[in-house]
Amino acid sequence: MKIDRRTILKTIGTAVAMPAIGRSAQAQATDTIVIGGSVPLSGRAAETGLNVNNGYLAAQKFINEELNGIEVDGKRYKIDIRLFDDASDPARASTLIQRHLDDGVQFFLGSFGSNIVLPTAAIVERAGKPMMQTGGASDQIYTQGYKNIFCMFPRASRQLYNTIEYFASLKPAPKSIMFAMANDAFSKTLAEGAIAFGKQKGLPINDIITLPENITDASSLVNQIRGKKPDVLLATTHDQNSLLIARQLISSNVDVPLLYLSLGPQLKSFRDALGNFANGLFFQQFWDERSPYKDAIFGSAQGFASYYGKHFKRDMAYHTASGAACIVAYVHAMKAANSLDPAKVREKLAALDVESLYGRIKFTPEGDGDPLHLGSTVGQVLKGNAEVVFPEASRTAAPTYPAPTWAQKRG
Amino acid sequence: MTLQTLVDGLVLGGLFSLAAVGFSLLFGVLGVVNLAHGAFVLIGGYAAWTLLDRFGIDPLLALPLIMLGMFCLGYAFQRTVIQWATKRASLLASMLLTFGFALMIRNALVLVYSPDFKSVTPSYAFDSLSFGEVTVGLTRVAALLVSVVLLALLAAMLRFTSLGRTIRATAQQEQAAALCGVNIRHVFALTAGVSAAFAGAAGVAIGLVMPFSPPDETLWTINAFVVVTLGGIGSPAGALVGGLILGVINTMTAELVGAAFPNAMMFLLLVLMLVVRPAGLLGNSFKGSR
Repeated sequence: MKIDRRTILKTIGTAVAMPAIGRSAQAQATDTIVIGGSVPLSGRAAETGLNVNNGYLAAQKFINEELNGIEVDGKRYKIDIRLFDDASDPARASTLIQRHLDDGVQFFLGSFGSNIVLPTAAIVERAGKPMMQTGGASDQIYTQGYKNIFCMFPRASRQLYNTIEYFASLKPAPKSIMFAMANDAFSKTLAEGAIAFGKQKGLPINDIITLPENITDASSLVNQIRGKKPDVLLATTHDQNSLLIARQLISSNVDVPLLYLSLGPQLKSFRDALGNFANGLFFQQFWDERSPYKDAIFGSAQGFASYYGKHFKRDMAYHTASGAACIVAYVHAMKAANSLDPAKVREKLAALDVESLYGRIKFTPEGDGDPLHLGSTVGQVLKGNAEVVFPEASRTAAPTYPAPTWAQKRG
Repeated sequence: MTLQTLVDGLVLGGLFSLAAVGFSLLFGVLGVVNLAHGAFVLIGGYAAWTLLDRFGIDPLLALPLIMLGMFCLGYAFQRTVIQWATKRASLLASMLLTFGFALMIRNALVLVYSPDFKSVTPSYAFDSLSFGEVTVGLTRVAALLVSVVLLALLAAMLRFTSLGRTIRATAQQEQAAALCGVNIRHVFALTAGVSAAFAGAAGVAIGLVMPFSPPDETLWTINAFVVVTLGGIGSPAGALVGGLILGVINTMTAELVGAAFPNAMMFLLLVLMLVVRPAGLLGNSFKGSR
């Protein structure tokens, strides 16, 4: 073989080019789908924000590490979730979302809190990009005519339909029902929707009390309960306020046969703080890891719970599961669209009807969760555990009504 | 029912007073508006939670230890951060600096304790005392007693001890006190230490009666500001009166007007006081009020 200058140059050129070609092929195998968003990791909403954040990240970790990504249009992609800390501040969140858009992000995940989701949803909607979220259920988000915003929960005014149905089924029937709602957009809408539905059902809703958004003292509510003796108290309050109300009711020895705190008793930390006194409390239950749901990615609800438990230190909350379900919804939509075009993915999200770790994912035409499939069930703390007690089809335990009095729990 | 509301208001007022007195003292003596005061209150609450949760020490028994720790923190905070800011820049700079510190403490608490709420629940957390038709939770009674006793001790210390006289003299005439041989820097730092110790004690009392989380620091700084405006700057009696009035107004408004209105009434009162009597009900001529 003749070795001349041209042959040597060809050999060197090939040697230099081959690794580059190899790298290019490797790069195709590790292409990523970037999903942007913000979550509150600090500030007032950080507690639940962290749960949502962990749900998003658990799904990303599982898909990338256990499934080696997802296949869309014949290519494998890894999921790359890029989340900023919006510090529970809507203005900051809006700036961060705009920055994502400027960077060319095509898919979005929502923050936690309707006050944050509302302005960020407006920005994403204007840009024509889809947003999956699990933190904004205020009706305001779903009455703007948005086409790209999808939520794993029904809008707030429809979330307590099962609860009202449960109240209507109680025996003995309650003679008076009191509502106490915190003065924030979500809690008010939640209560107002339930009150309207309850009145439609003919329930005796006699008292409606508005509480401050952040409560430092619940004695006026306790005094009203002491005076009016309602059979049911339904408080639409966030965790910390719910705990304050419960503690003051207990230490004042003021009993309510059915005490329903919309948010709080779902959390283990809440139940631990009240000990035996937590037993009998009712609450909104969106998800239970024992639910028999099948999931195309995690296998089942239990599969997700066990994976999460192995890889994350923070306790599981229903927002963690719904956060992971947002990513599951995206994966289903991208595969169905066989494309990463945001408009096509949006079309498939709108038409989605699949079972997942979180339940059947199906949205209303306005984008919020279908109340039948994604609405809350009624939960009750029984023997220290959060159980589903209504509707009967989803029941994990039979309800205790009237609940034992504080004095009985002391004994 | 009105008597129950009044008692509830006094209990809440006791907490407001204790949480405000340190803020009032620092404002009165140093002229510094410490916007990290609410964060100091929360540090006290978290310390009580840690000692109970990890070591099983009752919050009331842990109180002296927490106050001592907070005293050291306050002393160091004054000798390093605030003194540096007031010497090199101005009192306004110290305000901005303490605001920055409040944010840093809040985020540090999130990092250490997570953003989840905490609740200090000793064995008697759910017990109560009844006097006729009035029922009050035992932790609330304990919190009120802690507030009254500590405020009385502070008032006695300021009135009768050598340190108290030195602090009052420094507050009234800094230069004259210095000419008489008072170590101004040391007195300022001692005052900041006492202020932080009382903030820590307030955190313990607050933790006994309500759950708390890092963002609550803002609430306790604002409450302290309103109490001080109402009661007067620099005096424990002013803080006690301001706090009790605020507590009673809070519960009475919730009872008679509506549970959503206490905050609105609180700020209406703040504006009225600033217009009618800016020195507060028991205000005196300390630095901050001049």
